[in-house]
Amino acid sequence: MTYEMIALAMFGAMLFLLATGQRVFAVIGFVAAASALLLYGNGAIELPFNQVFKLFNWYAMLTLPMFIYMGYILSEAGIAEDLYRMLHVWFGRVRGGLAIGTIFLMVIISAMNGLSVAGMAIGATIALPEMLRRGYDKVLISGVVQGGSSLGILIPPSVVLVLYGMIARQPVSKLWFAGLVPGLIMAALFVIYIAVRARMNPSLAPVVPDEDLNMPLSEKLALARAGIIPFVIFFLMTGLFVFGFTSLVESSAVGAFSATLAAVVKGRFTWRLVRETSMKTLSISCMFLWLILAALAFGAVFDGLGAVKAIENLFITQWNLSPWTVIIMMQLSFLVMGTFLDDTAMLVIVAPLYIPLVKTLDLGFDGQLIWFGILYTITCQIAYITPPFGYNLFLMRSLAPKEITLIDIYRSIWPFAAIMVLTIVLLMFFPQLALWLPEHMNVKG
Amino acid sequence: MQRLMAGYVRFVDRISDLVGYLAASLIFVMAATLILDAFTRNVIKMPVHWAIEFTQFTLAAYYFMGGSITLKNNDHVRMDLIYSHLTDRGRAIVEVVTSVCLLFFLVTLLMGGISSLEYAIATGERRFSVWNPSVIPIKSLMVACTVLMLLQGVSILFKNIAVLRGKTL
Repeated sequence: MTYEMIALAMFGAMLFLLATGQRVFAVIGFVAAASALLLYGNGAIELPFNQVFKLFNWYAMLTLPMFIYMGYILSEAGIAEDLYRMLHVWFGRVRGGLAIGTIFLMVIISAMNGLSVAGMAIGATIALPEMLRRGYDKVLISGVVQGGSSLGILIPPSVVLVLYGMIARQPVSKLWFAGLVPGLIMAALFVIYIAVRARMNPSLAPVVPDEDLNMPLSEKLALARAGIIPFVIFFLMTGLFVFGFTSLVESSAVGAFSATLAAVVKGRFTWRLVRETSMKTLSISCMFLWLILAALAFGAVFDGLGAVKAIENLFITQWNLSPWTVIIMMQLSFLVMGTFLDDTAMLVIVAPLYIPLVKTLDLGFDGQLIWFGILYTITCQIAYITPPFGYNLFLMRSLAPKEITLIDIYRSIWPFAAIMVLTIVLLMFFPQLALWLPEHMNVKG
Repeated sequence: MQRLMAGYVRFVDRISDLVGYLAASLIFVMAATLILDAFTRNVIKMPVHWAIEFTQFTLAAYYFMGGSITLKNNDHVRMDLIYSHLTDRGRAIVEVVTSVCLLFFLVTLLMGGISSLEYAIATGERRFSVWNPSVIPIKSLMVACTVLMLLQGVSILFKNIAVLRGKTL
């Protein structure tokens, strides 16, 4: 059997076993361990275990449990509710203001949290019911929550980019800063879209009546206090890091600590909260870490086969494709795969195959792998929110109020998906949108 | 036989829970160590030289000790496109067959771990750093936790077999 055939067989076996619904880490670990033994004999028995120390040396992985913990504590501490009330009053008089406020809420939540699920949960449970009550069009607002939640893994901190960094061997801090500008551009495009739609068709987004918004100045200022806690957390975490006092990993611990303090200040800190949060953090972290361990083993076997060289040879030499065509084909394949795979499975399958290939392409600028990480992140988000099997679609259905049907959700996402595609196109024409910030930031870790 | 399997399942699940609770508390150990390090370096200008390695060891202990309870609580992701449409019985059948994957991976991990631990004991392996800690304790912990995960994998297998027989353990 040629190496290409073995590589193909490994992929085929993996996809088949994944479809049976066995735990993803077990399937990938099994295919890796079994093919290592078949290819290299008994000497390869240590291959899976050796990945433990590869993972061990990736210090940035420590941010993973910290940010998962932080996300849970923040959502329990009631910070999001207060923030939404504040944004509601401030943006209530603008056409489409509540929907615009929701996007702002998502940006703020994203800046304190690394997973897109948290933003979706907060948007679907806090912002959606309120907008429905105010007579907002349900198709529009379901799109707002879905589009907005995709900012979560683009605006730092981002857990997905930590995982990508591990596999692509790129510094996490650079990846995070690279995600910031594209994330903000995407948020701005969402806001413009909502404002234009609301102006063209005011019935989509009725203005909040004045009597709801008229309140003494003192009350308005009291509401503004809701913004203080997120600001303090953000400053402690990101500020200390940017000014060089703490390393990346240390600031994630500072973030976890300040989120806990916020819960204490808000009087939500109970023994039950500590117990439940630490157990949830453990299970999510273990899920990710075992998956990464298995993926590293898979990648180690796969690298040894030289399969990437073969694909490169096929694309570049035989088919004579330009590097940019290859990049676009990759993005399209993510879209297809992302409609039926989830975040983690995507990363595991994509990483060993695509990342080495991107490294060999000549696109004409530095930091290709950093730039590609951002492209990959946005494309996956598009895939998760697009039918038929978008992962986030079902999550949204389970979180949203009953009157929003799956059909509403399907119809709602197109404009937002189009904006995300536009962001990708912008990034392809102007890679510096992602790369300027990390190049000009001097940070550790 | 039935009673023996039920006893085994109850015993292993209990151990997984206890080890898991202990693992869950390690998040606070990691956070505290990192903050201590940031504090001593910036405020009293006395860096704690063992902090980084210590948190790395703790993270390894965290996911190895948590591995078994995560299996038990079924918290690992699955691609459930087809799986979620199966009946309980159908799921149990698929699980029994594909549990080969889980057990095989864990066995290779265990064998690799044992041979790596033997090497560490024979050579007195230490990490190259200022702190220079022995790797024997962490490797022993990893091996022990892999054994527990294997026992948990068997416990899950028993539960699925029980479902096929129309019983619950």
